[in-house]
Amino acid sequence: MSLALSTLLYEWRRYMAAVMALALSGLLVLAMTGVFIGIGKGFTATIERSSADIIIMQPGATSLIGGPSGVPRRFIPLAYRNPQVVEVQPLDGAGGSFQSVKNVDPTMSQADRARQRAPKQQFVQASIIDTTPGAVTIPTDYSQELVDALRQPYTVAIDETAVTKLGVKLGDKALYNGQTVTVVGITRGYPNMMQANIVMSRDTLRMLGQADTGPRVGPLMVKLRDPAQAERVAAQLNVLGDGQWKAWTRQELADANAGAMFEEGILVIIIGGCVVLGTIIGVAITWQTLRGAIMANIKEFASLRALGVGMGSLNRIVMELSFWVGLVGVAAAIGLTWLVQMLAMANAVIIALPPVLLLIVGGGLVVIAMLSGLLSLGILKNSQPADLLR
Amino acid sequence: MSPTKTHGKHGDFAIEAKGLVKRFKSGKAFIEVLKGVDFDARHGDLTMVMGPSGSGKSTLIAALSGLLRPEEGRVDTLDIDNLWKLSSGRIDRFRLDNCGFIFQGFNLFPALTALQQVEVVLKFQGMPKGDAKRQATETLKEVGLGARLNQRPSALSGGEKQRVAIARCLAKNPQILFADEPTSALDGENGQVVIRLLRRAATEHGAAVICVTHDPRLEEWADRVIKIEDGVIIDDQRRTPNPDATLASH
Repeated sequence: MSLALSTLLYEWRRYMAAVMALALSGLLVLAMTGVFIGIGKGFTATIERSSADIIIMQPGATSLIGGPSGVPRRFIPLAYRNPQVVEVQPLDGAGGSFQSVKNVDPTMSQADRARQRAPKQQFVQASIIDTTPGAVTIPTDYSQELVDALRQPYTVAIDETAVTKLGVKLGDKALYNGQTVTVVGITRGYPNMMQANIVMSRDTLRMLGQADTGPRVGPLMVKLRDPAQAERVAAQLNVLGDGQWKAWTRQELADANAGAMFEEGILVIIIGGCVVLGTIIGVAITWQTLRGAIMANIKEFASLRALGVGMGSLNRIVMELSFWVGLVGVAAAIGLTWLVQMLAMANAVIIALPPVLLLIVGGGLVVIAMLSGLLSLGILKNSQPADLLR
Repeated sequence: MSPTKTHGKHGDFAIEAKGLVKRFKSGKAFIEVLKGVDFDARHGDLTMVMGPSGSGKSTLIAALSGLLRPEEGRVDTLDIDNLWKLSSGRIDRFRLDNCGFIFQGFNLFPALTALQQVEVVLKFQGMPKGDAKRQATETLKEVGLGARLNQRPSALSGGEKQRVAIARCLAKNPQILFADEPTSALDGENGQVVIRLLRRAATEHGAAVICVTHDPRLEEWADRVIKIEDGVIIDDQRRTPNPDATLASH
């Protein structure tokens, strides 16, 4: 084990401030970015967890959110021309007002009625599934019971996190765009912190008058015989489409959706601010901590100098030390963020942490630590062996 | 490779210095700490430099070892003509290859075990890992710490720490060994162990050991005693060392 690593492990208390500073800088950036990605995930969870292996959209589409994603209806039979394709269903969805219904006793006084509070009205996003068994649009974690329940006309499911927000519970009736629907399912794991999401069958949506019936439909969700072939078939479909459409694998689209949030200028400003702040705080505290720690061992460094170990070698020790501090900081940042993620999840806030984000932030933290190491190299000049001869 | 290697040049000059002058600034005035000192030390000798505090003895070894540049004078050492003509990198390299240093404080890294303290220096010398470990173990055994190889400084007594510091120097097989008040932080018993190790470094390894001290009882072990006062050498005597001398408790 190297001198730097042994020192870090043995005198870890001394380096704790630096590790914590890095961890908190990391947390700041990870959590903020993760929340924004999570907001996006809230809108796309139903699709990303469906059994669609490939999604076909307009060639210009950059993600599911925004951009021209719908396609002409005639593309549906075209997609079936690939022998791997077993099912193609257009994605559909709508939005509308959702209002809870209160059972009001007509003999109740006006004051009692007011005490009951007014029914809640919220704008919701409606997404659909097909209720045929094994349909491509059904999220893989939906139970058979839920699908069966949604098969009934005028039924909806909501996420457990939207129960309070919408003011309804399982079995309650509610008004969707003025028509009565029944809450027959409560899902878990589909929180949306911006706008509540309700799920209904494609037939219910049609009966409510909101389904796509014209020549254009939403993105096509494609199920393959062998999901492992997704990448290859997507390429084949793109050849087949001859530039009229673009086929995405589910993973490609999920990544693009996560990235799409960052086309919002304000998010970039907020996250950019966090990065700048995190960097400044991280460098300042890590730098000062490293300085202090080096100062505490300055006599030992001086004795190495006396034995002929050059300044370059001592510099390398400090840089290695900074690197390890950075690495421990990354671990602490990820650990802390994970805790915060759990806490947020318990309160229906999604913090999404794609590996790419962890990699970028982790790399950034190591760079911050090394930068702090560079800044504290100057203190090594105090390691004058002649001072030991007193 | 063996730690008991001798340089086989007993009696040859290891260091010759001429006309060393060193001044320090004190307020507006300069204080001359070394006033044209001539000095030499031979392989196989334990040369004792003695004098009251402020006499310039520490400054002298700093100038001899390339740690503190003198204003005037030259230092010829081993096969190097005028050490102070070299670049600071070359001076570092010279010390790494040839010099050992023992201080009053032990200056051991708190995080490293006795074995690692010695290994680190050998690795900086460019010795392969396996060899460094072997050499470090052997040297620590030689200073009587065979049983304490994996102890950190916090678990070692003052005497043991100083022995680790000595092992750290001896493992490099130095031709010149500088010691600055090596016993003054130790009790009599441990002091005796340390001075005997220095004596052995001179006799058996053929190193030129230059030991700065103000403790007159250490004279017993010396081949040569140089007295310095106010930056001038006032006495230089050769004597026959008594390797069995005892050092009473301070």
